Parts: sequence; structure tokens; C-alpha cells
Amino acid sequence: MTPRWRRLVLGGLAALVVAAAIYFPILKRRVQRAARLEQQSEEQARRELTLAAPVNPGQPRVKTTLFWASSNEDGSLAATNVELPLSNDPVLRAKQVLNTLLAGPVDTELRTLPPDAVLLEFYLLPDGTGIADFSEALAASIPSGIQSEQLAADSIARTLEANVPQVQRLKILIHGQEMETLAGHLDLTGTFVVNTKPTQAPGRLPLTPLAQATPSPTSNAPSAAGKERR
Amino acid sequence: MRESELVLEYAVQARKSLEAQGFQVRLTRQGNDNPSFDDRSAMANAQRGTVFVTLHVSSTGSPGTVRVYTMTDFPAAASAPGLIPWDRAQAPFLELSRQLGDLVQGQLTLQFKGSPRTAQPASVRQLRATAAPAIAVEVSSILVEDPAELARMGTGIANAIARGVAAFRPIYDASPVPGAVP
Repeated sequence: MTPRWRRLVLGGLAALVVAAAIYFPILKRRVQRAARLEQQSEEQARRELTLAAPVNPGQPRVKTTLFWASSNEDGSLAATNVELPLSNDPVLRAKQVLNTLLAGPVDTELRTLPPDAVLLEFYLLPDGTGIADFSEALAASIPSGIQSEQLAADSIARTLEANVPQVQRLKILIHGQEMETLAGHLDLTGTFVVNTKPTQAPGRLPLTPLAQATPSPTSNAPSAAGKERR
Repeated sequence: MRESELVLEYAVQARKSLEAQGFQVRLTRQGNDNPSFDDRSAMANAQRGTVFVTLHVSSTGSPGTVRVYTMTDFPAAASAPGLIPWDRAQAPFLELSRQLGDLVQGQLTLQFKGSPRTAQPASVRQLRATAAPAIAVEVSSILVEDPAELARMGTGIANAIARGVAAFRPIYDASPVPGAVP
């Protein structure tokens, strides 16, 4: 090979390396974006499959209190009141309020649960223990840390407390399995205290007093849901 | 810098500050090993007169603030006299943990404006099986714009922990041993 050809080949190779160096990060971003979209669409499909039965439009709309993060950014929760046609059946009702909680607030910064998390199932045991089974995304996508994990559990527990008084305790499962922690910090081996008040018939739920019984959203102290051992 | 490395750096600084106050300090890890929750609690439970501090860096929260957590209430189970069930080992120490937590949080709030004034309750897995006054200290946050800011917080965190533990010492010395048979 003549020196001229050698220079041309080396120059060509160098140009290829430079082009690859530029293109590789772009390709990596595209692959990551595609993976995210695929995961989101899977979660969306699962969410559609597992959503609670459609609410009867004729069902009377009742005041529903949902707990998302406070805009004070102090690690506390704030109550948001909406009107929803909730079922009288406590299991369906729990699914409805938790799915609404998962759907998130208007301000997405105030979410307490990852957008791709899905409620797979909700069970209510005769002793008042509610078992909420979430998809893996709840554990995998939640920001790791004591504050964010406790806030997630609190928002679930307090939303159930305000709207489904039959639920006395809450057990959180991830894809049907008991986990030691949510994302490395929050203990999931026990149950969270939800409601210590006596159960009343769903048709006569005192929703407003229950919601008012919760601490002020402007309180600096995050209301960690009480936890008890089995 | 990885979170585990940053936390270890905090722990090493806290050890120096605590030793300067006359305390003996044992770290539950020396490097990138990752002992289980129960292994760490076992190390603490094997000592007498211990306080347990677990350090974390969060992914959320106001950057530059530090929060102290103590275990939420949970009932102590009935057991044979003198025995504490492993998974409820923290129950008899909850009140002492709260006092320790408030003292350390008070010191941290002096150093890091915007931090809460008192310790917060949380169901921290690491605290549950620890049979000693135990707190979790969480620094916000790993998402800070300049990672060097987090490293610079180490000295203030270490000094605050040491001062809080020193202030707790007379309370701990004066209290009966929780769970002990009279």
C-alpha cells in the first residue's frame, strides 16, 4: 500500500471513529427512550386490564379525599377533595380510590407514587386488613429514601383511612410477594395502621369527619402512618 | 461519587467526632460490603450501652437539609421475661430513640437551615431489630446540582451527631434498661 493510500485509509478510519463517538450517545438515548416507552406501554396495558370494574354512572358522587404531597415541599401530605361515584363495596371502593391516587394529581410534582405503578389487586380480610398488591414499578421507580418511601405508604394509608373505613390495617405486596422493604428503607414486612375507628356501613360513611380528622396539610410533621407488627 | 461511598465518608467523619467526645465507635461496614439489616442490628445488640445511628442520602427533599427519623410506634410483643422478640427489638427503646432523635435533629437544624426541628417517625427497616436507642439520619439529596456540596456537609453532620449523642448521654445513663427484668 502506498503512503498516500495508507493516509487515506487511516483518515477514513479516524472519521469513522469520530462519527461513532458522536452517534453512540444519540443511539444510547434512543434505545433507553424506546425501552422506557415499551415499559410504559406494558404498564399501561396491565393497568387497563387490572382497573376496577367501571363505576356505575348512576352511582351518587361522594366527596373523596386523596392525599398527595404538599406543595410546601416539607415532606408532608395535603388532602385534595374530589367527587367520585364510589362503589359501596369496600374492595371496589378501595380499588377506585387507589387507582385515582395512582393516576396522580394535576401537578405531577406532587405525586407520591410512580406514574407507572399499577394496583394489581386489593383484598380485604375479615379482620379489616386490606392487602394492596402493586406492580414492581412501585418498588423499582419510587425515588429511594426514607422520606419518599414513607410518603408513599402514608398517602396510600391515609387515602384508605379517609374513604374506606372498613380497612383497619394495610399490607403492601409487590407483585404478590411480601418484600422486606419498599425501596431499601421502608419496612414492608408488617402492616400499617389505617383506621382504628369502628367500621360503619358504606352507605352511611361519615366521609367528611374522617377527612377532617387528619392532621393539617400545612403541618410540618409528616404523619407517618402508624405501623404495627403482625 | 456513589451514595454508598458518600455515606461511608459521613460515617468515618462521624466516628472521628464521636471519638473526640470520648465515645467508642464501631462501623457496621468498612468498605463496599453490604451487611444485611439483621447483621447490622446484631452488631449493635451485642454491645451494652449502645446508641445506633444509620446514615442515608435521599433522592428527594430540599437539598442541603437533613432529617432524623425514629421508628414509628409498634407494640412490644408479650414474651418470656427478659427476652425481646428480634423483630420488635426496638419497641422498648422507642421513647429513648425519640429523645436521641430530637437532640440530634436540633443540632442538625442549627447547621442546616430548613431541616425539621424535631425527629420524624418512619417505619425504617434498619431500626426495627435494634435493641438500643436508634435513629436514621437522611441527607437531602443525591440530586443536588454540585455533588461536592454533599461532601462538604459531612463535617457539619458529624459534629451535630456527636453533640446530640453527647447531650443524650446523661439521659441514657439515668434511664432504666428498657425491657430488663427488675
